[in-house]
Amino acid sequence: MFNAEKFIEKTVSQLQKEVKGKALIAFSGGVDSTVCTALVNKAIGDRLVAVHVDTGYMRKDESEDVKKLMKNLGLNFSFIDASKEYYSALKGVEDPEKKRKIIGEKFIRLFEKVAKDKKIEYLVQGTIAPDWIESGGELRDTIKSHHNVGGLPEDMELKLVEPLRDLYKDEVRKVARVLDLNVSERQPFPGPGLAIRVIGEATPEKTEIVREACNIVEREIELAVEKGLMEKPWQYFAVLIPIKTVGVHGDKRAYGYTIAVRAVQSIDAMTCTYSKIPHEVLDKISTRITNTMGSKINRIVYDITNKPPGTIEWE
Amino acid sequence: MVKIYVVDNGGQWTHREWRTLRDLDVETKIIPNTTPFDDIVKENVDGLILSGGAPRIGLKGNLGNCAEYLEKADFPILGICAGHQYMARFFGGEAEPSEIPEFGKIELILLKDNKFFAGVPKKSIVWESHNDEVSQVPDCFEILGESKNCKVQAMRHKNKPFFGLQFHPEVEHTEYGEQIFKNFVKICQE
Repeated sequence: MFNAEKFIEKTVSQLQKEVKGKALIAFSGGVDSTVCTALVNKAIGDRLVAVHVDTGYMRKDESEDVKKLMKNLGLNFSFIDASKEYYSALKGVEDPEKKRKIIGEKFIRLFEKVAKDKKIEYLVQGTIAPDWIESGGELRDTIKSHHNVGGLPEDMELKLVEPLRDLYKDEVRKVARVLDLNVSERQPFPGPGLAIRVIGEATPEKTEIVREACNIVEREIELAVEKGLMEKPWQYFAVLIPIKTVGVHGDKRAYGYTIAVRAVQSIDAMTCTYSKIPHEVLDKISTRITNTMGSKINRIVYDITNKPPGTIEWE
Repeated sequence: MVKIYVVDNGGQWTHREWRTLRDLDVETKIIPNTTPFDDIVKENVDGLILSGGAPRIGLKGNLGNCAEYLEKADFPILGICAGHQYMARFFGGEAEPSEIPEFGKIELILLKDNKFFAGVPKKSIVWESHNDEVSQVPDCFEILGESKNCKVQAMRHKNKPFFGLQFHPEVEHTEYGEQIFKNFVKICQE
């Protein structure tokens, strides 16, 4: 069985040998990068610099919360607001693989800049098993290019350190609990963020819509879980489908986008079943999204696909 | 400690097979399917798992050095998905594109009692992901389980400790997956 204590001990001593100079950690504030940060911090102390990039595709208030988290953890950190750059890089890009690769490369270029300024040699990433498995290569088919693996540019100069490569999320959570990190139970959020929750071109306008819808889905489901109406899903969010359908709002014709509600049960993201959300909860989500988002959204659908054949995120 | 290696044929769940074995305290590692048989023997393994792989890999041509393993091994081998299809082909059976491919949740129906399925009820939920399947079982094999749309979900060699599974016991959502792995580990220990 996986033993978190032993893993921590072994990894910290390996990191001490492996990382000779300064290192930069790509810090999203999720379970993987936070655990990674704690481990590297134990190994090399203040030679570690955490960098958080606000891509413009983060969830509501997320980057501000991450900033607080980095302060609370007492890290050396840099905060980069790159939303404008990301929006312009993704302008007109519809293909999900292209989106993922552009986002992956942009992360690296931003990290390289910080690394050059601060004379940093190593890039630490919280890559876990599904990231490299699904990114494919050699015999393995590419399911999706995870930004931190399949999205890495070939001419990257930083030396890559990935202490969690052989772990799945449930194991990372175990490590997080032993390290007493309060992010241990956070739901997964992909590096490309909301850019892959807007199907097709992820414009700032559509991103704003999906950000709000995601927030409503998260809050309503968390409320339902608190009330004991349903089991806590592994992951739960909204996807914007850029298809407009007709509605009627106050005796007038409405013509807005569609939101899909996605929630799944899993332990490791390698397989999942769709969450059985009670109808009364779906009802609340549907009414709240359509009523607060006016003419932008007038149809809500519920995704009932398992993995396989689907994947958790739509892109 | 029992030692079982996972031969990587490029499956999405190869690493899950490794993890399931490790969780059962088996000494394990993932090895490329190009590893020569002699190198495996040198490490005194007690069993091998032939993983699945990207679509069509079990259907035509060779699957790395899997033929050599199936020809020479006197220890147990479990073929999963493409590994299972290749095992059937190697012993004179056939694998073809499925009329109805299966993805996700499927009901497995066991047809025969075998220690490989000890503790697994006659009907259980398994997880699938295949475009192809075994269409003809070799003479030296017998079918142990089926599903509504796939006649060969599980098979075993009549004289050797070789087993083939079309479904995936290594993933979380296969109800008795861990039990099947435990049974295989036990067979490797014997």
